Amino acid sequence: MKLRRAPVAVLGGGLLFCALPVLRLPAFYESFLYLALYWIVLATSWNILSGYAGYFSFGHGAFFGAGVYASATLAGKLKWPFLWTLPVAALVAAAIGVGVGAVAFRVRGVRGELFALLTLAVTFVLATIVANTPIDGGPGVYLNDVPVPALGPTATSSLYLMMLAAAVATLLISWVVRFSRFGAGLFAIHDDEDAAEVMGVPTYRWKLGALAISCALAGLAGGIHALFVSYITTAETFNLTVPLTVVLMSILGGTRHWAGPAVGAVAITVLLFAFTGSSNAVLGKGAVGLILVIGILFMPEGVMRKFQRRGRAVVPDPPPVEATRTESAAVKLAPVTPGVSVSEEPVLRVRALSKSFRGLRALSQVTLEVRKGEILGLLGPNGSGKSTFINTVSGHYLPDGGEVWLDGRNIAGLPAHRIARAGIARTYQIPRPFMQMSVLDNVALAAMYAGQGLRSIEAGRDEAMRWLRFTHLDGKAGVLPTGLNLHQRKFLELARALASRPKLVLLDEVLSGLTPTETHEAVALIRRIRDQGTSIVFVEHVMDAVMALTDRIVVFDQGAMLAEGAPAEVMKRPAVVTAYLGVSYA
Amino acid sequence: MLEVDRIAVAYGEAGALWDITLRVRRGELLSIVGPNGAGKTTLVNTIAGFLKPKAGRILMDGHDIGVLPPHRHCEAGIALVPEGRRLFTTMSVAENLDVGSYLPAAKAKRRESLGEVLELFPALKDRLDVPAGELSGGQQQMVAIGRALMARPRLLLLDEPSLGLSPLVTADMFRAIRRISTAGITIVLVEQNVGIALRVSHRACVLELGRIVAEGAPGDLGSRPEIRKAYLGI
Amino acid sequence: MNLPSWTLLAQSVLSGVFTGALYGLLGLGIGLSWGLLRTINLAHFAFAFLSAYLCYQMVLSLHLDPMLTLLFIVPMLFLLGAGLHWLTDRFRLTPLSSLLLTFGFMGMAESAMQWFWTADPRQLASSYGDQKVRLGPLFLPIPELMTLVFAIAVTLAAYVVLRHTDLGKALRASAEDSPVAASFGINQRRNSLLLAGTCAALAGLAGVCIALTASISPSQMYAWVGVVFATVMLGGLGSALGPLVAGVVIGVSEAVTMAVTSPSWAPLVSFTLLIVILLARPGRIG
Repeated sequence: MKLRRAPVAVLGGGLLFCALPVLRLPAFYESFLYLALYWIVLATSWNILSGYAGYFSFGHGAFFGAGVYASATLAGKLKWPFLWTLPVAALVAAAIGVGVGAVAFRVRGVRGELFALLTLAVTFVLATIVANTPIDGGPGVYLNDVPVPALGPTATSSLYLMMLAAAVATLLISWVVRFSRFGAGLFAIHDDEDAAEVMGVPTYRWKLGALAISCALAGLAGGIHALFVSYITTAETFNLTVPLTVVLMSILGGTRHWAGPAVGAVAITVLLFAFTGSSNAVLGKGAVGLILVIGILFMPEGVMRKFQRRGRAVVPDPPPVEATRTESAAVKLAPVTPGVSVSEEPVLRVRALSKSFRGLRALSQVTLEVRKGEILGLLGPNGSGKSTFINTVSGHYLPDGGEVWLDGRNIAGLPAHRIARAGIARTYQIPRPFMQMSVLDNVALAAMYAGQGLRSIEAGRDEAMRWLRFTHLDGKAGVLPTGLNLHQRKFLELARALASRPKLVLLDEVLSGLTPTETHEAVALIRRIRDQGTSIVFVEHVMDAVMALTDRIVVFDQGAMLAEGAPAEVMKRPAVVTAYLGVSYA
Repeated sequence: MLEVDRIAVAYGEAGALWDITLRVRRGELLSIVGPNGAGKTTLVNTIAGFLKPKAGRILMDGHDIGVLPPHRHCEAGIALVPEGRRLFTTMSVAENLDVGSYLPAAKAKRRESLGEVLELFPALKDRLDVPAGELSGGQQQMVAIGRALMARPRLLLLDEPSLGLSPLVTADMFRAIRRISTAGITIVLVEQNVGIALRVSHRACVLELGRIVAEGAPGDLGSRPEIRKAYLGI
Repeated sequence: MNLPSWTLLAQSVLSGVFTGALYGLLGLGIGLSWGLLRTINLAHFAFAFLSAYLCYQMVLSLHLDPMLTLLFIVPMLFLLGAGLHWLTDRFRLTPLSSLLLTFGFMGMAESAMQWFWTADPRQLASSYGDQKVRLGPLFLPIPELMTLVFAIAVTLAAYVVLRHTDLGKALRASAEDSPVAASFGINQRRNSLLLAGTCAALAGLAGVCIALTASISPSQMYAWVGVVFATVMLGGLGSALGPLVAGVVIGVSEAVTMAVTSPSWAPLVSFTLLIVILLARPGRIG
């Protein structure tokens, strides 16, 4: 498999570069190589949280600095053998990171630029604390008399070898995460954190995990670097250079590729070194700034993405969907065949469910049942609470009161990812696929995290293919969601909902915006879904489909249940007619 | 006054409106009714300039306004009361009303317009300095309508004014709408609540799945089977 | 911890007020930009420092009174700010991207400043640089006093414009709901150019004040970032009075901390405040 070549290449490269000190290159070149490796570790480790999961951190300097001072204190002041300080440096950095993350990730609003500023502030707080306590105290820490472990012929080459080992480890970790189930979850968080949570990804734990790995590696680099510079001060360690350079390197190289940051790191290091020797050293920073500007504006996905695009076969755009417009609006839909048994046993029991938003009663004491194997229609005028019902049952909103019993377990109030694990899946009225993941991976993610939760990417993808075939999307498996039209995206939503083999599927206006032919296909698909045992709650306005598909319907009005029963019968009731059309029609 | 000529509107590739033709005469109140998802808001948003039709033209007193950027539609005499009100919640009622009369022509008559709005909605007199986000649903609807009236429009677009309001408040709102119509302002009203819409309109048309399926005087339309079919499926 | 005398404490508080006024002055531009234009404009600091250096150079070469340099600097920066906004507006950046992009500009500006003026600190020598006003046992240095006056003046002006003029209401409306604001005739593109230019002009004013009250070096730019962001977040995005009040609060807290403990603990105040605000009320921001 093509993928497996990467770790072999990394290890091979690592071994090759191991031999370099034998050549006894001038210190200038060894320094350059050391620095390139140093930046590879820092940029790649940063990318694991910030690139993969999308939580841009400006605080990488804090964790790096924690590692620097941990090693410096242990080796310089407590006279530990240097190599033993490195794992401790990594641990300290990880602990601080997890401490910050544990608090920051709990607060829902802290994303994007706010998370960046928070992590920046952490850097300065840490710097101030270090500068004012015995850890540093102000004058800095000297490490001149710390013996450098004799791994290579000279001190510089020993440090080079240590950083080489760190770089190899970091690249391998980056690769493993990228192609693991864990990494798939991180990418989902990047594209749409709320949808990922609803699809079963334990977002809080996953973000903490990525942060821990990222910080540990930064701390490791810091520990090694402490000995390299041998005189450390808070000003040099905690300034803005580290956090901002790693951002630049990763963006330039590509944040979604496991080796992207490394490529960026090498490129920028070369550039900076090219300026160092000359009298134009001052321009170095300016050049870096200019590159960042150009990168953000014109290449927001980085260099590596461009290479990836070229490799993938070009998928032709689907033909425009105008041809069928001339058909009449109503297409006859066959009524539900009586033979399909609906069991009397409820798969879902909702009791007195309530939800309010800032004083507005969106759901008011809703009590209903969904029986195993039935298609229950959920109807009601605009604003009656249907979408709120779906959002509350699936865990997107926390209910204010009431219970939701799924197969004997009360899931009301559980975090959304637990509800997904329990066996409830939903689609969104306006499809919300993960835009930077392929169709196959979109579905595979649900297979890996919701319901039973398959443990490996391969298993997830196999299961996903099955459901893509079921929804006739198998031809589009490798395509990004931007290459699908609305009809196909709705089917993708369906495939995603089914991939976890849920007990209950909540469909939110899945037919809106479809042409008559597409509606026909979708209805047939929904029938097939029910026929293989899944219960369905179906919010819809296309009345033909509701009449044809549903076994029972429930009508909502102003957040409360208005009526319940067989479709044709319920829609004739005076109360229902009034709710829709007004008093004069009853 | 307003002429919508065979327009088609789509969101990306998802078609929302097909071959819509409408004429609204000066001083008329035209209702557009239809179930959820029929495309009513899409139609209003297109007339207001947020969406550009893929085909067809929109003419206001003979001028093609479909080509104008959104901020020029107000100059053409169109004011919108959006679905869900969409007030500037951090600004006070008075400030919301001021924004309505932002354009020079409206600004010159600001005091006069304010007087008219307060006469129409006396409940707002004591609440001019209250942040709009703190008002009740009905009061917010009053501010939204008032804000549009401050622009001294020739055509008022009302998108689902009854949304989220109790029947009593809805009745009050429509009494006010009737007064506005009587004062001579042309109105295009989009409503899901058929009964109350037909009671105030001069003419109405029914939209279903992006097409007009029926059109005429309220009396005729009320008993037509298309309405029941569109809403109730039977 | 050694408790200082009352006079020293009072002088510290006063010094904190002056520093805080400068934080507020810088913060006003950032806050208006972030709250009303949804861009996080780190270039603001570059603008301020460029202005500081320009002021320094003009005084040095042309022997102008520093106040006169404002006549050149303010309009020039207005144009620069509007121009930059016009350029980047076409790219539809998220606040995060604008943070990164303007950080790049900071790097470029730092290089330029270092190229022309070297990394050595520069001190503006002006006729009133050393003058002070006495208020009982307390000293009020003239440059700092002028900064305070400027800060109060622009803050009040911003307040009046935002609250009582149609332009201000239009800006606030566009920031909250741009399409609906447009439907009432508000031309957001033109208004945002005006606002971007004004924010840059504010940076120019702040820069001249910095030149008057401190010695400047290119790398110093970064030292202000954290504390000014704390000011903006405490004061509220898009607020006119908020940044000045918050700035003074932060300035005084820092000054008192410095007097009671030691100067190096001062940064802790603003950054801890920043973290606390971010965690406690993220909804109030952005």
